[in-house]
Amino acid sequence: MAGRSITELRGGRVYDPAHGIDGVVQSIYLCDGQVVGAPSDPSDIKVSHDLSGCIVMAGGIDIHTHIGGGKVNLARMMLPEDHRQDLVARGRHPRMGSGHAAPSTLTVGYRYAEMGYTACFEPAMLAANARQAHLEMGDTPIVDKGAYVLLGNDDLMLRMLAGKEPGVKVRDYIAWTLRAAQAMAIKVVNPGGINAFKFNQRKLDLDEQNAYYGITPRQVLLALADGIRELGLPHPLHIHGCNLGVPGNLDTTLATIAALDGLPAHLTHVQFHSYGTEGDRKFSSGAAAVAEAVNRSPNISMDVGQILFGQTVTESGDSMRQYAGSAFGSPKKSVLMDIECDAGCGVVPFKYKDKNFVNALQWAIGLELFLLVSDPWRLFLTTDHPNGAPFTTYPHLIRLLMDRSFRNDMLKTINPDAAAASTLASIEREYTLYEIAIMTRAGPARSLGLGNLGHLGVGARGDVAVYVDHPDRERMFTTPRFVFKAGEMIVRDGRVIASPTGATHVMRVDYDTSIERTLDAYFERYMTVSRRNLAVADGEIDGDGRGSLIAHGARRSS
Amino acid sequence: MPEQLAENSDPSTLHHAVACPFCGLLCDDLVVAETRGALSVTDNGCAKARIAYARPVVAASPLVNGKPASLDDALNAAARQLKRSRQPLFGGFGTDIDGARAALALAERCGAIVDHLHGRALAHNVRVLQTRGLATTTLAEVRNRADLVVLVGADINDDFHEFARRCLRPSSALAEERLATRRVFHLGPAREAPRQPGVDAESIACSREEVLDLVNALRALRLQRQPRLRGKRLQAVSNLAGAIAASEYAVFVWTPGQLGEDGDLVIGAVCDLIADINRSKRAAGLALGGNDGGQSAIATAAWLTGYPLQLSYAGRTLEYDPLRYDTARLLAAGAVDSLLWVSTFNPHPAPVTDLPQTVIGMPTAQASSMRGVYLPAGTPGLDHRGQLIRTDGVVALPLPQLRDVALPSAAFLLHEIAKRMG
Repeated sequence: MAGRSITELRGGRVYDPAHGIDGVVQSIYLCDGQVVGAPSDPSDIKVSHDLSGCIVMAGGIDIHTHIGGGKVNLARMMLPEDHRQDLVARGRHPRMGSGHAAPSTLTVGYRYAEMGYTACFEPAMLAANARQAHLEMGDTPIVDKGAYVLLGNDDLMLRMLAGKEPGVKVRDYIAWTLRAAQAMAIKVVNPGGINAFKFNQRKLDLDEQNAYYGITPRQVLLALADGIRELGLPHPLHIHGCNLGVPGNLDTTLATIAALDGLPAHLTHVQFHSYGTEGDRKFSSGAAAVAEAVNRSPNISMDVGQILFGQTVTESGDSMRQYAGSAFGSPKKSVLMDIECDAGCGVVPFKYKDKNFVNALQWAIGLELFLLVSDPWRLFLTTDHPNGAPFTTYPHLIRLLMDRSFRNDMLKTINPDAAAASTLASIEREYTLYEIAIMTRAGPARSLGLGNLGHLGVGARGDVAVYVDHPDRERMFTTPRFVFKAGEMIVRDGRVIASPTGATHVMRVDYDTSIERTLDAYFERYMTVSRRNLAVADGEIDGDGRGSLIAHGARRSS
Repeated sequence: MPEQLAENSDPSTLHHAVACPFCGLLCDDLVVAETRGALSVTDNGCAKARIAYARPVVAASPLVNGKPASLDDALNAAARQLKRSRQPLFGGFGTDIDGARAALALAERCGAIVDHLHGRALAHNVRVLQTRGLATTTLAEVRNRADLVVLVGADINDDFHEFARRCLRPSSALAEERLATRRVFHLGPAREAPRQPGVDAESIACSREEVLDLVNALRALRLQRQPRLRGKRLQAVSNLAGAIAASEYAVFVWTPGQLGEDGDLVIGAVCDLIADINRSKRAAGLALGGNDGGQSAIATAAWLTGYPLQLSYAGRTLEYDPLRYDTARLLAAGAVDSLLWVSTFNPHPAPVTDLPQTVIGMPTAQASSMRGVYLPAGTPGLDHRGQLIRTDGVVALPLPQLRDVALPSAAFLLHEIAKRMG
């Protein structure tokens, strides 16, 4: 064992929920990129960092953040005013770049690392746009990444459902899509609604038929959720439901949970789907009802999509709802796209104002959800970057969750009618560091099936974030003391000091390759690229030493 | 004898489903034969593609001040030139995504200003995006869903020729009934109306300058205002307005590179019209452009910096200014003191200038007489693999290597120059 070179992280307070470790003072050892056990020969320890007074967690994992792909890049191009006020000066990071709501890929990677995050997952990759999404993620430094590919608005899936193709065919198509797009999971956005919008339908409720294919969102949801369960994908169907942002959509959300009837599913940015119609303004919080439904449905996980006040930009595959929302955009400009018989997108800049009743109540609804959902293993911390707020607001959001008096002080500054309409002031819960570590590390890793990420046990990847314990949790989480990526120190005192290239995580499941012949015929007959050229080859991601691929497999059925 | 057999057998290799890099459509149904480095398109592809693939490979040596040099010496000379330059300009930018990445990294290193050969045309669309936004669509949507397509001042007879066969009048579509009843209009000079067989466009003839007036007239008719048109022209425009009113999915196609200086005004007017229609029906726009890797250049710049082109790395922070950082303007104003020109898809010559230059790409007549460095480079999709983004800004395609003629990629050369910057 001569020549081992171990880095010792000595005496920090460790939060490692995957192993039930809740604030235990202990040392972590890193060697060859991994967490290892305490060395029997102390002389193997070549570097030692004294972490007394520090909090130690695995590197953060963002399970839902829009960091790459066409709509993100459209937002960048569309908003020079966004970047001009948040330019990254030469020398601040290894490469120049810009923010704020639509940052450059380089800036995204550095800023995530500077907050102690080491993995990010893009939740809305289109198969038609997968190559570009991977190119952008390939230029996102330091962090590991992966993406969820959209299905359920593509004309092919709707034709398959309308033609009553057997489930096994749908499963093969799902598995092929995962492989072709080099994706980690499957997402559905406004199930069938984006497609319906191309046929000029302006809304599509759970049981409303697509005018052209006669298929309902319920059918799309069930076909996908069931197919994914059958395939054994670790992360269940990632659902952006019907009626995003519509007052009264809490009923749709409850009906969606009921429709799933025990099938595993992840409901994303639930804040945007928890609105009632009570009160003078016909807009009220549905957080309590939604949280209650989630609490009693162990098959459901969710993330919040918290909004925070300020200028941002909303980027979504949900062209139907983005078009409806474009009237409220600020500044007044928007992009709407119908995409390749596959999906769509809408980009609408938005400014959330604390004095605006609706915005203020959205803020409160998000926090209510966080505080009323009891199981942090099924609830992940997101702002749906940048739709609710840029990811750089996470430390502020964590403080809101951990510090009730701070939360109540903020509550006093928002639109008073909204504050009065919310139960937030009466909620006493304060998140613990252990729960934060679950929501931002252990939970996402478990949900995605990431294996050696999100924890600090022996064999884990050496992705570690070290924070100086400070009662102001916003300050604490903004500037880690150290961040390690695969055992290498990449951030010191909140500044990037090294910029390795993160891996791309993909999910691989077997399928009957005869589906490819069906797809060849479909692509030949209707599409404008061939099936082969649509598929992203491994070498496009890991060729020339540019990146690397980590392939995960199906969960073994128990 | 095995050797004789090898000589007698057909030495050519057929490549299928090849994506063509020579215009922004990136048609990927070409069949290309390769015979000892010579390429020919044997199926699909337009005349322009056939000519481009068939260009003979010219054995070119790197040149320094017109004299043959080793690659190493030429790269050193290029690096010296950039180091001496107080304000370099990177122009042309005719390369694939890897080339764009390498060019931007080098530009950051030496504080360069960056523009594309088609920078002004690309900026028309970007300006509309930044001022009012856009509602757009992609090629497969046009092919399958449109029941009306209006070519607004767009000439697709040379560039974008295959748009007719692949999207306007394809052999099949998901919504067969829409394909069967699809109407195609052309707004612009009659000689520019599509001549591809079977397109059968209804032409509304007008000069290029009048296109904007006609678009505004269409809008006026929709808003039930009196347009400033009379007689036959009013009739023709009313006919189109009727077709729009009857359509379920109307697509308006423009070509930024063919619109004049006020191209953004035309595009903006069309977008206003589309926005009007979308209040009750569905419509979308489609820009045909992005040749010479233009779409890839602005996309790559946008994700790496936040800004599309034209931009500058000269200051402490990035600066984006499409007017100020325009190649012709900078050269005319004497605002830069060296030029690095990349053109790997077509032999576009660098603008005439006395400044020291480094030219990367296809050999041009001027290369042997210029002051500076010439570095021959391969064409992505022919001489080396690569990736490009299509004109609709959504689909990126892989480009294959079809032959081995030992020409390095622009990305390789740019990386090598960067390494030598010290």
